[in-house]
Amino acid sequence: MIRPDAPVLLEIKDLHARVEDKAILKGVNLTVRAGEIHAVMGRNGSGKSTLSKVLAGHPAYTVTAGAVSYRGQDLLALDPELRARIGVFLGFQYPVEIPGVSNLEFLRVATNARRAEQGGEELDTFAFEDLVRERLNVVQMDPAFLDRSVNEGFSGGEKKRNEILQMALLEPLVAILDETDSGLDIDALRIVAGGVNQLANADNATVLITHYQRLLDAITPDYVHVMAAGRILRTGGKELALELEERGYDWVDQELAAQAPVPLEVA
Amino acid sequence: MAASLTAPMALADWTQQWLKGLPVVDGRLAAVQQRGREALAELPVPSSRQEDWRFTDLGLLAGLDGTLASSPRDAGLPPGAPGVLRLVLDGRSDPLEGVALPAGLAPLSDSELSQALGHTLAATACEHHWPVELNHAAAQQVLALRVASRSSLSLELVSTQAAGLLPLRVLLVLEEKAELELCQFASARGAGLTSLVLEAHLGRGARLNHGMVALGRNDAALLAHLAIEQEPESSATLATVAAGWGLARFEPRIRQVDGSASTTLRGLQVVDHRQVADTHSHISFSGPEGELDQLHKAVAAGQGRSVFNGAVRVPREAQRTNAAQLSRTLLLSDRARIDTKPELEIVADDVKCAHGATVSCLQTDELFYLQSRGIAADQASALLKRAFCEEVLRDLPGAARQWCRFEHLLASA
Amino acid sequence: MSTAQAVGDLVSQPYKYGFVTDIETEKIAKGLSEDVVRLISSKKQEPAFLLEFRLRAYRQWLQMQEPDWATLGYPPIDYQDIIYYAAPKQQDKKASLDEVDPKLLETFDKLGIPLSEQKRLSNVAVDAVFDSVSIATTYKEKLAEHGVIFCSISEAVKEHPELIQRYLGTVVPINDNYFAALNSAVFSDGSFVFIPKGVECPMELSTYFRINSGDTGQFERTLIVAEEGASVSYLEGCTAPMFDTNQLHAAVVELVTLDDASIKYSTVQNWYAGDENGVGGIYNFVTKRGQCRGDRSKISWTQVETGSAITWKYPSCVLQGAESVGEFYSVALTNHRQQADTGTKMIHVGPRTRSTIVSKGISAGRSANSYRGLVQIGPKAVGAKNYSQCDSMLIGDQAAANTYPYIRSQQPQAAVEHEASTCRISEDQLFYLQSRGIGFEEAVSMMVSGFCRDVFNQLPMEFAAEADKLLALKLEGSVG
Ligand SMILES: Nc1ncnc2c1ncn2[C@@H]1O[C@H](COP(=O)(O)OP(=O)(O)O)[C@@H](O)[C@H]1O
Ligand SMILES: [Mg+2]
Repeated sequence: MIRPDAPVLLEIKDLHARVEDKAILKGVNLTVRAGEIHAVMGRNGSGKSTLSKVLAGHPAYTVTAGAVSYRGQDLLALDPELRARIGVFLGFQYPVEIPGVSNLEFLRVATNARRAEQGGEELDTFAFEDLVRERLNVVQMDPAFLDRSVNEGFSGGEKKRNEILQMALLEPLVAILDETDSGLDIDALRIVAGGVNQLANADNATVLITHYQRLLDAITPDYVHVMAAGRILRTGGKELALELEERGYDWVDQELAAQAPVPLEVA
Repeated sequence: MAASLTAPMALADWTQQWLKGLPVVDGRLAAVQQRGREALAELPVPSSRQEDWRFTDLGLLAGLDGTLASSPRDAGLPPGAPGVLRLVLDGRSDPLEGVALPAGLAPLSDSELSQALGHTLAATACEHHWPVELNHAAAQQVLALRVASRSSLSLELVSTQAAGLLPLRVLLVLEEKAELELCQFASARGAGLTSLVLEAHLGRGARLNHGMVALGRNDAALLAHLAIEQEPESSATLATVAAGWGLARFEPRIRQVDGSASTTLRGLQVVDHRQVADTHSHISFSGPEGELDQLHKAVAAGQGRSVFNGAVRVPREAQRTNAAQLSRTLLLSDRARIDTKPELEIVADDVKCAHGATVSCLQTDELFYLQSRGIAADQASALLKRAFCEEVLRDLPGAARQWCRFEHLLASA
Repeated sequence: MSTAQAVGDLVSQPYKYGFVTDIETEKIAKGLSEDVVRLISSKKQEPAFLLEFRLRAYRQWLQMQEPDWATLGYPPIDYQDIIYYAAPKQQDKKASLDEVDPKLLETFDKLGIPLSEQKRLSNVAVDAVFDSVSIATTYKEKLAEHGVIFCSISEAVKEHPELIQRYLGTVVPINDNYFAALNSAVFSDGSFVFIPKGVECPMELSTYFRINSGDTGQFERTLIVAEEGASVSYLEGCTAPMFDTNQLHAAVVELVTLDDASIKYSTVQNWYAGDENGVGGIYNFVTKRGQCRGDRSKISWTQVETGSAITWKYPSCVLQGAESVGEFYSVALTNHRQQADTGTKMIHVGPRTRSTIVSKGISAGRSANSYRGLVQIGPKAVGAKNYSQCDSMLIGDQAAANTYPYIRSQQPQAAVEHEASTCRISEDQLFYLQSRGIGFEEAVSMMVSGFCRDVFNQLPMEFAAEADKLLALKLEGSVG
């Protein structure tokens, strides 16, 4: 839902980042207001996951230029856990397995860290179990997963559902979901998309990273951005995704070759 | 066989006697012979008090005639692969005499030999081992070959030990990107000892595929050191199968000098009667990103004893090493014994090192499954034993695969 | 700061139990001789058989060679420079805790082991050993109602000499090894537990060892006997003040289970480990062995080893009874220059005996952490089974993790299986936890305790939290 007067949650300005010695992001600009759903599309290797990890503060990536503000605050200055606590959430493309650490315990500690930041009180084991059982419904996940180690031995789809469960518990203001649809069968896709739709409201925003139209059939984006070579090359409405589906990405290459970098402003 | 308590004494005496009976130092290896003899006069003989020999009784040696054997040159050797050069090692004569070497393969000159001989033994810290010094003291011949850069060759080495001592010394230098498939056959036809010391230096990107089949008899012993130095990007595969020896001891010693190499070790040892088979492998990674894939198997029947000691050293400079070692033993008789001792020493933190060991008899579930399909019990157990051994046998290269039929190995086990 | 470095800093925590209690102590002169052995025995007013036992051990010890450890480097110990008996000055053992010197009560309070009636855990009986003597044992009367004997070994010598004579030195013979012989000659105090036939001990038993004097060796001796069908869960904890000298701790623990009996023995060891340069700390040379004498009996060792400059310890099980069960669950954390060489021996003698080994080693700093184990299947152990799992976690690239699992088998109808792996805390795992709002410290400590979970699960409920806290304590701190 686009409301021009809605507060800006996330503002990315001319963001450059590298990993080791390789420059990957080369001037990303993006503004996200409350209530909006953005889709970021683009070929493999265009820098979508890098953008999401930089926003979450992964230590392997170094920001070389540009700025990111989150509700007026310098996001890049914060440790990853602080970013999470103040409401920035990254749904990983490849969630890692953490043997030995119980999923339930992990969810509880994370939820309480977010609650503490918001001035809420800590949930004890019992109160938390009630909450988690309620949120499990959002992703129709079997409670048995709570007793296992974090993501360990989960199938691809189960990992993704676990990501959305975490989102449901942490109630972020900006959720960046990196390829949450990949590796999902139709039913799982419907459940995950349903979860995202359920959690989206007028006060928060979602950034969906995907390169398939099929997720966007289930979650209607307000904006579609096309990323290429570390920049956002074009921005449009939901029809841009359909166009991509029809025409493929070849035109992107031509445009890249023809164009000098054009910064694009959104909304 | 001498009782284990008296063995060290008996072996010490035997060693001193044997040294006296050796011919005077002579020939290309005179200096090596001299050093070996001096060392042996001083070195304590292996005994169960030394950690490396704790489980391995060398009593058999003390009863052997240690004179240099005159080996039959062509008796009872298995067929070779067509078109592959075969060299016969009899310990006495020059194995290259009258042989036309194919392009890419050349003998080392005397000056090259004096530079290279012993280098890998020192690099893999086994130059002073008793069996190595024994080989030094006695070796009359050395087969020293260079495989030229980018050439790809196959070679067979065969030896038959008659009564007495058969010392074999081999030195291989594989230049950059050279490839060598080496099939080695060692057999025994009399009460005696085969002493093998093989060194190989693998240049950058070189590949060595060594398959050794050693079939002995109850009154024969085999002491083998296989020392390999690997430059980065080289790959070495050593597959060794030993059966039938009264005593067989293998010491594969591998050093990846700058890491980034790949090593594959396959071992199968079969003991029956009162045989002893012992593998002491030692792999050290002296640089990052090395790989090891090791599988050691043993079958112990009768009153046989099987020993496996697998050392893997991953020092600080060996980050991102990926090493896996697995030892599996089939214990088939209640009078047989096995001793297994992996030794992992790791300092680097970003490494994957896994090891595992199992000891068991044939799985009753598996036996039952086969029987429930109408297969007789003994046939079923033969099938399972075969499957157990196959996992190593199938990794033997070239003709070696044919030299070693499962039936030979487990004739009685 | 790199992740590895940050994790490394995290495990370098100051030792919190390093204070010294200022209390008047009765000590005998330094040094060891036959007279010293006699003096210890007479101070404890021991019967003749025990003096005899000590003297035999002392004479054996004189004949023995101090082991020369391949991987444990330490300067030679001067056995004449150690005090073999030190006791806080108080008249006899007090009938009531109220009479115990308040300084001692306060010491144990500070260590988190409240001895005074109103504060103590309601379902745990505690024997508190300070230097060479036991100062208090709680809940004795309540235990006595069930026929359970729980007291210091000195008291047991006086009150139950026949039990001591029957069992002492039967699991660990006096000449078992150098340190066991030394202990047998000069042992000072420790705990004695006897659970009679058919009794399930109504509460957890626990002994807390505290070394206070800087020049005193601690030679504790523990003996636990569970008769037919009896069962008990026992826990020991250990701390010591910080001194820049090394103190020797050479304990012997013997466990005996008869038919259908079971003993669960848990240790949380946090002796002073020395400073980051390896100065000071306890030499922890311990012989622990249990004998499953009876059929279907069970002995389970759980240990959390975090302290000591050098640890040398292999809690073992001799599985004699048919179908007896041995277990060993271990977490060993080493940092700085600590050296730990620990593991177990599972000696399968009887038929259908089973054993399980789970070892988790965490090495940080420049420490060395070795697992050394033996699984031996004897010729009569038909149908025996062992499963072992040894995992190492490395923190930083200067710590060593060594694994030496021996297997010997002479029985074809037996199955032995060993698995080992190495891991570290990966940057991606840390980031994942952090990106969910979990702080760096907590993330590391979650992962370390996750790594140790299989072992912590074995600790009695009351102590699992304590072990987790201890590890967290070692891990807590200066994140930049
Ligand atoms: N940690 C990393 N180390 C090295 N290269 C990386 C790393 N992460 C990403 N890259 C490289 O950066 C480029 C963009 O990758 P990524 O952000 O994952 O793209 P996308 O998610 O759009 O497929 C690729 O060329 C990829 O190989
Ligand atoms: Mg991606």
